[in-house]
Parts: sequence; C-alpha cells; structure tokens
Amino acid sequence: MERAVGFHHRIKDRHMWVLFVLPGVLLLVLVLGFPAITSLSYSIRPEKAGTDSYTLSHYTNLNKDPFFKRTFWNTAVFVSLSVAAHMVLGLAVAMVLNGALPVKPLFRIIALLPWVVPDVVAGIIWKWMYDPIYGALNDVLLKVGLINTPIEWLSNPKLALFSVILVNLWRGFPFVMLILLAGLQAIPQQLYEAAAIDGATKVQSFFHITIPGLKKMIVVALALDIVWEVRRFGLIQAMTRGGPGVLTEVLSTYTYKQYFQFFRFEYASAIAVIMTIVLLAVSLPYIWMISQEE
Amino acid sequence: MKTTSYELKNAFSKTIIWVFLIAVTVYCLFPFVWMLSTSLKTESEAFRIPPTWIPLEPTGDSYIGIWVRKNFGIYFFNSTVISLATALLSTFFGALAGYGFSRFFFKGRRFLIGFFLATQMLPGVLLVGPYFKILSKVGLYDTRTGLIIAFLTICLPFSTWMMKGFIDKVPDELDQSAMVDGCSRMGIFFRIILPVVSPGMVATILFAFLLAWGDLLWALCITSSEPMITVTLGIARTVGEFRIIWPMLMAGSLVGGMPAIILYIFLQRLLVQGLTAGAVKE
Repeated sequence: MERAVGFHHRIKDRHMWVLFVLPGVLLLVLVLGFPAITSLSYSIRPEKAGTDSYTLSHYTNLNKDPFFKRTFWNTAVFVSLSVAAHMVLGLAVAMVLNGALPVKPLFRIIALLPWVVPDVVAGIIWKWMYDPIYGALNDVLLKVGLINTPIEWLSNPKLALFSVILVNLWRGFPFVMLILLAGLQAIPQQLYEAAAIDGATKVQSFFHITIPGLKKMIVVALALDIVWEVRRFGLIQAMTRGGPGVLTEVLSTYTYKQYFQFFRFEYASAIAVIMTIVLLAVSLPYIWMISQEE
Repeated sequence: MKTTSYELKNAFSKTIIWVFLIAVTVYCLFPFVWMLSTSLKTESEAFRIPPTWIPLEPTGDSYIGIWVRKNFGIYFFNSTVISLATALLSTFFGALAGYGFSRFFFKGRRFLIGFFLATQMLPGVLLVGPYFKILSKVGLYDTRTGLIIAFLTICLPFSTWMMKGFIDKVPDELDQSAMVDGCSRMGIFFRIILPVVSPGMVATILFAFLLAWGDLLWALCITSSEPMITVTLGIARTVGEFRIIWPMLMAGSLVGGMPAIILYIFLQRLLVQGLTAGAVKE
C-alpha cells in the first residue's frame, strides 16, 4: 500500500512542471505571441478595409521603396560597424582589465557607465556634445588644434551616420567587454605560463589560447549584440530621428514612422516582419547552442 | 643586456596600457562630465561661445526646475510604478517557470526553452502596432496598466532565464529531502526555493526594473498624455520642443539616469549572469 502511494505520488510529481511552466508560457503567448501573429496578419492584409483577401503587395512594395532600401542599408552599416567596433574595443579593454591592475574595480565601473544609462539619455548627452557651436566636442578639437572649423557632426550628410555609430560604440562596447571579461577569467592562467615556457610569443598565445578559449563567449556576445543593435531605437530617436533626410534612419525608427506618423499599419508590419526574420535567423545559432546545453 | 631590453619592453607595454586606459576613461566619462557641467549652468551660460567647462556661476536651478516647471514628479512616479509592477510580475512568473525548467525534464522542454529564448530576439516594433490597436479597443491605451502589460514582453523571458540560472545552483537534494518529509512541490517552491534564491530574486527584480525604466519605444507608442508618460518619454519630448533649455534637459537626463547608474553599480557582479541567459556558467 505504501509503495502504491509513493508510485502514485511520483507520477504526479513528474507532471508538476505544467503547474510551474504553463503560467509563464500562457502569459508569454498572450502578451507576445498573439500580437506577433496579429502583426504578421496585418502585413498580408490589404490597406483598403472590407476585403477578406490577403495580399503580398506590402512586401513587394518594399522592393520599390527607395527609403526602405536606404534604411535597410543604413541598418546594415550601423549594425556591422557597431558590432565590429564593440568587439575590438570590448576585447581590448577586457584584456587590460583581466591583467594585474591596481585600480581595477574603479575602471570596471567607469567602463560600464555608458551602457547603464537609458538609451534616450545617452542619445541626448551626445546630441549636446555634438552641437556644432555650443557643444563640447568641437570645442576640444578646436582647442587641441585637430580641426580649424567646427564640424557639423549630425547635420553633415557624409558624417551623420558615422557620428551616430561613434555614439553607439560608446554605448555598446561595455556589454561586450563584460561578457568577454567573464570568458577571459575562465581561461586558466597555467595555459599561458606553459606556453611561455615553450617559447610562445604573446601574439601566438593570443591566437592559440585566448581566442579559442573565448569562442563560446564570442558567439554569445556577437548574437546578443547584433540583436540589440538591430533593435536600437531610443538612441537614434533622441539624437537625429533618422535625419538629415533618411541618412540615419534605421529599420526600427522607420517602422515606427510608418506606424505612428503615416499610419500605414500594414506596410509597417511588413517591415517589422522582415526585421523579425532577420533577427531570428541571426540568433538561431545562439538559441540552438543554449538549448542543446540544457 | 638581455634584461635591460626586456625591462625596456615591459615598461613600454605598460605605458601603452596606461595610455589606452586613460583614453578609454576619457571617452567613457567625458560626456557625463559635460552633462553635469551643463546642468549646473544658467541658460545663457550654456549658450556661450566658446563653451565654459566649469560653470562660471554654478546654480542648482535646473534641478529645481525639472520638478517645479516641468512635470518630472509625475514622470518619475509613473516610471517607478510601471517599472516596479512589471519587475514584480515578471519575476514572480519567471521564478515559477524557471523552477519548472530547472527541476523537470519533460517532453518539449527544449522546445519551450528555445521559445523563451526566441521571444527575447523579437523586435519591439513588431508588437507596438497590434498593441496600439488592441489596447485602444479595450480602453487601456495611454494607461499605466497598458504599459505594464507591454513591458512584460521584454521582461518575462529575461526574468525566467535569470531565475532559472539562480535556481539551477540550488542542489536538487534540498527538494528531494523536503519531498520525503511530505512537502508538496508548491510548498517546496514557496517555502524552500524562494527564500534560498532571494538574493537572486532581488537582482532579477532590479534588472527587470531597469529594462522597463530604460524603454522609450513602448512609452512613445502606447502612451500620450502628460499624466501617463514616463521619465524617458518626458526627456525625449523635451528634445522635440522648439526651444531646448539644455541645462534643464541635462539635469533631467542626469536624474532620469541616476537610478540605473546606482543600481547597476550594485549589481555589477550579477550582471553577466543575468544578461547571457545562463550561457555563462561560473
């Protein structure tokens, strides 16, 4: 009798996951899954109401929209340059902070600051830094003698996107640094000592010990950073709102405009769907890696 | 001879490291210094050519002005209430789901884990359109409740991951021995697991709080009236005004960014673990 109760109890316990996991899953489906599907359905709905048919015209229209093409290109430039710069600067700072340094905790906090403030705040500080007449950046560059005339950081068409990326480098590298620092700290110091005894140069140890040891962290940092940079909104909205013209417009700000300035919900949804597909494709290796480990 | 060249090389690389560190420090801090400096200036001094670095007549007027002349009090209240409610809700449901993922190995577990991870990748702009329409229909447009629901989309997947990471570290033997003593699963979760992981829970609540605090997109899309908007939207709106009063805007930005700066400095150690969704094991 005792046995039977225990057995019964165990079966029941095996199914108890439903009680724990289901509320979260249902909530997520309700607040996220359902609107996501709704958006997908908007994107294939004709703009003229009253018809039941569906259409792919919003997607084909994207191909004819020069602003969309420009925005897509801007996003690609913005994301790839940002992420590449994050990786280089993030790794460099992480390696320095991983060494013996007297004031390490202080540096860690300093290097983290740009990343912790809200996106909007970061954008606004830099908008003011960049101000051609009253801003701090031109003042310093003029005083040091690096430039002779003030630079129009955000209104010069050739510079605007670059200026925004420079801010995004400032904003995003601390995250990559943190992740890579955690990875560096996990590499046993003995490996470096052994390599040094065997006569390996610093460069050799970097490529044969550091990089392979960081592989997983690099994948994590790359995936998350790409996803975040593609979605980046508040920074650009606060600084340029996509201007001048569409020169700093990225997919997220463009979609926002289509929704809430032009009220073209169907068209905006189509852009958002494209964005989602790109993001899921980029993050698939990461999702796969993590869920296989579970 | 060999030692000298080695020492020389060493001193050289040390110098390079310090120059690099100082350059990075300046890059990181310079904008904050500028923000602080501007916030302490009078409006006319902010428009001086060339700009002054240390305010000639420092004044705290802007820090008073944001509360008195602008509605910063309302924005702060809204941001706090909305972010806190989001954080508590998402951490509670996240802890439940995290426990489920941590302790049970059921069919479809990997799929659901993948689902939670994938939801973290969706762009906000995919959801704001439907939210605008749905919330308007049910009367939740331009309400704090609407924003709380929307922020769950950002915070819930994240909280689940973070809580799962913390619960993973609690040995399963604890659950087993409690079960032998006749404790139910729910009892174990509430009376044993939650108290044990309470530091992690506090961290999760704070991170979720900050995620919600830093958002602009959602606030911009599903709130509009002055009594309902958040700090970030309040700041963003000021930039759109015809005449920007920079000292006040900088004071507002500093105050609006302060909760994040303070909390993150406290949470530094838990940051990596929280953000990489358990990919980083110590």
